[in-house]
Amino acid sequence: MAISSVDKYARQRSLEILRKKFASIAKRILEGKKPVLIMPKRVLSNTIYDMKKKLLLLGPEMKRRSLLDVNEARKFMQTLLMASIIYEALVNDEYPTIRDLYYRGKHTISYRDISGKLHHENTWDEQRESDAVIRDIEVFLGVLREEMLILSKEKGKVVGNLIIKSGDDVIDLSKMGHGAYAIEPTPDLIEFKDIDAEFVLVVEKDAVFQQLHRYGFWKKYKAILITSAGQPDRATRRFVRRLSEELKLPIYILTDADPYGWYIYSVFKIGSITLSYESERLATSNAKFIGVSMTDIFGEEEVAKNINKLASIFGKEIKKIISKHGKKAYLSEKERRNYIIKAKKKDVERAVELVGYDVADKLISNPEIKKYIRQKKLGVSGYPWFRTPEWIKEISIFFSKLAKLEIEAMASKGLKFLADTYIPAKIETGDWID
Amino acid sequence: MGVMSAVAPTERYRAISPAEFFYKYREIAGFSNPARALYQAVREFVENALDATDSHGILPNIKIIIEKADENREFYRVTVEDNGIGLPPHVVPEAFGRVLFSSKYILRQTRGMFGLGAKVAILYGQMTTGRPVEVITSQPNLRRIYYFKLRIDINKNEPIIIERGSWRKNRDWHGTIVSMTLEGDWSRAKQRIKDYILRTAVVTPYANIVFMTPDGEIYYYERVIDKLPRPPKEVKPHPYGVDLELMKRIRDRSSFSTVKEMLMKSFQGIGNITASSLLEIAGINPDLSPKSLSDKQLLELVNAMKNYKRFRAPTSEALSPLGEEVIKAGLKRIYEPEFVEAVTRKPSAYQGHPFIVEVGIAFGGKVPLSSDKYPTLLRYANKIPLLYDEGSDVSTAVVKEDISWDQYLVRLPAPIIVLVHLCSTKVPFKGVGKESIADVKEIRNEIKLAIQEVARRLRVYLSRKLKEEEKKKKVVSLAKYVPEVVRALTIILGDGQGEEAKLLEEKLVEIVSLRTGLPRDEVYKVVKSVEIGV
Repeated sequence: MAISSVDKYARQRSLEILRKKFASIAKRILEGKKPVLIMPKRVLSNTIYDMKKKLLLLGPEMKRRSLLDVNEARKFMQTLLMASIIYEALVNDEYPTIRDLYYRGKHTISYRDISGKLHHENTWDEQRESDAVIRDIEVFLGVLREEMLILSKEKGKVVGNLIIKSGDDVIDLSKMGHGAYAIEPTPDLIEFKDIDAEFVLVVEKDAVFQQLHRYGFWKKYKAILITSAGQPDRATRRFVRRLSEELKLPIYILTDADPYGWYIYSVFKIGSITLSYESERLATSNAKFIGVSMTDIFGEEEVAKNINKLASIFGKEIKKIISKHGKKAYLSEKERRNYIIKAKKKDVERAVELVGYDVADKLISNPEIKKYIRQKKLGVSGYPWFRTPEWIKEISIFFSKLAKLEIEAMASKGLKFLADTYIPAKIETGDWID
Repeated sequence: MGVMSAVAPTERYRAISPAEFFYKYREIAGFSNPARALYQAVREFVENALDATDSHGILPNIKIIIEKADENREFYRVTVEDNGIGLPPHVVPEAFGRVLFSSKYILRQTRGMFGLGAKVAILYGQMTTGRPVEVITSQPNLRRIYYFKLRIDINKNEPIIIERGSWRKNRDWHGTIVSMTLEGDWSRAKQRIKDYILRTAVVTPYANIVFMTPDGEIYYYERVIDKLPRPPKEVKPHPYGVDLELMKRIRDRSSFSTVKEMLMKSFQGIGNITASSLLEIAGINPDLSPKSLSDKQLLELVNAMKNYKRFRAPTSEALSPLGEEVIKAGLKRIYEPEFVEAVTRKPSAYQGHPFIVEVGIAFGGKVPLSSDKYPTLLRYANKIPLLYDEGSDVSTAVVKEDISWDQYLVRLPAPIIVLVHLCSTKVPFKGVGKESIADVKEIRNEIKLAIQEVARRLRVYLSRKLKEEEKKKKVVSLAKYVPEVVRALTIILGDGQGEEAKLLEEKLVEIVSLRTGLPRDEVYKVVKSVEIGV
C-alpha cells in the first residue's frame, strides 16, 4: 500500500508533538514534581462566542489534570493510556477508528486495597469515555485527531458537479448513480479538481437528500447537494467549510422546523460546545438557514400577532424585520393542519435553552407550558447567537403555536414543490436567516 | 515467682450471731440449687483469696481447681489457693467453723461485705456430701504451716476439729489453701464460672490466676502489671449515715468519758466546734457520760446529726478504686484492644456513703462485637464482677439512655466494651441477688460523666483512625494507576529497556507517598498488587 506523503508528514508531526509533550511529563516525574497535564477546559463555561468572528471558541481557562487528585487520577491514567495507543498506531502506520482505540485501550486493572481485598476496574467502560479522552488529547497536544490519522464512522454524503481527488483516485461526484460519495474522515486530504456549481445545499435529512438527488435537483439548479444525516460530524462540517472557503460557494442549510434543526444549523455555522476547539477549522460562518422557517409555515401575519411581545424585547428595532417581507405562508390552512406536529415539552425546553428563559417567558402564552418552563428552565441564559431579532422572531412563532414541522412535509406537498418552488424561491428572494 | 514481703496487719475477729439462720440465709447467699451453689462457692473463695492478697499489698497468685470428687454422684471438690496474709492458726476453726465470724464487720470496702459466703458454702458442702473442709494456712511471720480438717456443728454453731497438724516451713510460703467438697452441677455452672473468672481477671491484671476445670482445661491469666490498687483504709462512720442502732452500739461499747469526746472520736468530720453545736441542737450536756444517755436522748442526737448541713463530705479513704492503670492493663490483658482508656472519678457521696466510679473503654482488637443497642458492659461493684440482672443495672440505663454513641463515632454493633466499676462502703444493690446496682441519681450522674470522659477520648481516636483510613483509601485510588501510567509513558518514550520504567515507578511512588504522607512501602504494596489484564 502506497502511503501518501500527506499522511507521512502528518504522522511525523503528530509523533513529534506527542513525544515532546509526554517527555516533559516524564521529566517532571523524575524531578519529583507532581505529574500534571495542563490543557484548555472543554466545558460550556469556557466556551466563548466570538461576536466578531461569529464563532464558538475555546476560552482561555486551563485545567490541571493531576495524578494526585483523587477526582482526576482516573482521567490522568486514561489520557496517558490513550496517548500510548495513539502513539503505537502512528508508529505502525495504522488508521484506527475511535472505536478501535476504545477496544485497544479497554482492559482490566486489578489491585488490592489496604485491607488486601482484590478489586477490578476497567480502564474505561463505554466508548463515550474513551471518545472524551481523545478530545482531551486533541486539546492537550493542539493536534486534531484527523492529523493523528484517527478515523471515525462518517455519515455525510455528497453529489454534484464536482471532481475530486481522494488518495490516488479521481472521482466525479456527478457520476454516482443513485448513490452518493461518502465524505471521507480526513476531508483535508481531498483535492478539488473541477467544479461547475453555483451553490451548496445541505439537507439535514438523508431521505430528503435522496429524493432531491433522484429528482435531479443538483443538475437542474447547479448545486452541490450534501446531507449530514442528522447532527453533522466533523468530516461533513470540514468538507462544507472547504467548499465555502476554497470554492467561494454560498452555503444553504435546510433543516426541520424545530429546535433541533435550528441547532444543527448553528453547529454548521458557528461550531459546537464539545468541539469548540475545532470551530476555526470546522465552522462555516457564512452558512445561511434557508428553512424550513416558521414564517414559511405560518406567514408574517403570525409574527404580527406577537408584535407587542417582541417589541417588549427589542423595542423599535423589531419593526424593520417585519416590514421587510410581509410574506405569505407556503402552506395553506388545510396543509398546515395536515403537516404540522404538536411540539412536545422536550422541544419547548430545547427552544428555551436556545433563546434563554427571560425571552421565552415573554413569548409563551399557554399558561400550563409557561408554568412548566418556569419550573424546569428558570434562569437558563440561552445562547447569544440565538438571541438575535431574527431568531427570536422565528422562535416566537414556535412558542405561540407550539408546533413544529419536518422537511418531509414540504416534500409531501410535492417533491416538485420542494425542488422547483420552495427552495429556488427562498434563494432568489434572499429569504433566509444569516 | 516473686512473693512480696508483707506484714500481716492485726485484723479484728468477733462472733456476732448464732448459726441456724443459715437455713433461711442460704437462698439469699445463692445456694438454691447445685449449679448455683458451685458457682457461688467458687466466688466466695476467690473473693476471699483476693481480699487476703491485694488488700494487703501482696501481688496475688491464685489457683482455682474444680475436680469431680465422686464417680457416681455429682460431687465436686473446690480448691482455692492464695499467697495472702494467711490466718493465725488459733482463729482457723472459728473462721471456717462458726457462721458469722468475720473480720469484715468493719467499715471499709471489701469484696464480700459480710464474709458469710464462705461459711455458707462450707455448710452447704457438709450437708450435701458429708465431707469436711480442709484448710492449710500460714502467715508471713510464722515458721510453721498449719493444717485443719473441720466440720461445723450446726446446732451449736461450733467448729469440730477432725484433724489438725503443722509442719515447718522450708520455703517462705504464706497464704491459704481451702478445699471443700459439695454437690454441684458443673455442666450447668460451667459458663457462669468461666465468665466470672474471666471478668475477675479483667480487673486483676496484677494477679496470676490459674483455673483448672473438671474437663481438664487450664486457664492461665498471667500477671501483666506489678501495680496494686490502693488498699482500702478503715475509717470511722460519717454522721450522714448514722442511725439509732449504730448510736446505741457506740454508746454501749464506748469507754469515753464525755458525750462530746464520743462524738469526736467515733465519727469522721466531727471536731470540737461541730460536736458542741450538735449537742446544743440535741439539748444534751456535752460533759455527760455516754453511758448515761437514754435512748430518747440518742434519738435526739441522731436527728440533730441527720439535719446538720455543714459536715464535710465523707472521706473516700475507705475506698479502693482499681485505678486507671489497672483497668487499662486488665482490659489489654484479656482483649488486646486497639484502643483502651480509663478514668477514675473523684470521690463523691450519696446519702452519706462515699463512692467512686471508674470507667474503662476498650475498642477493637479481640473485643467481641457488641449488640446493636449498646456496648458490651462489664459491671463491677467493689471489684466483684456482676454477671446477672444486667437489664436493671444503673450502668445499663446510662449506656442505653444517657449516652448517644453515634456522637462518639461508635456505630453499633461495634467491637466495644465499657467497664464500669463502682466502689463504695455501701453499694446500693438492687434486690437480694446483689447482681445489679440501683438507679441512684448521684451514682448515675457520675457513671455518665465518667463514660463521657472516656468516650471523648475514644472519639478522638476514632476520628483520627477514620481520617487515616480515608487517607489510605485515597492513596489506593491514586497508586492503583501508577503501573498503567508508567507503562504508557515508557511506550511513548520508547527506550524499552525497563530501566526507565523502574525509575519512573519509584519516583511516582515517592511523589504519592510525599504528597499523601503515607509511608512508601504502603504505597508500594498497592502498586505491586496491580495487575494489568488485557
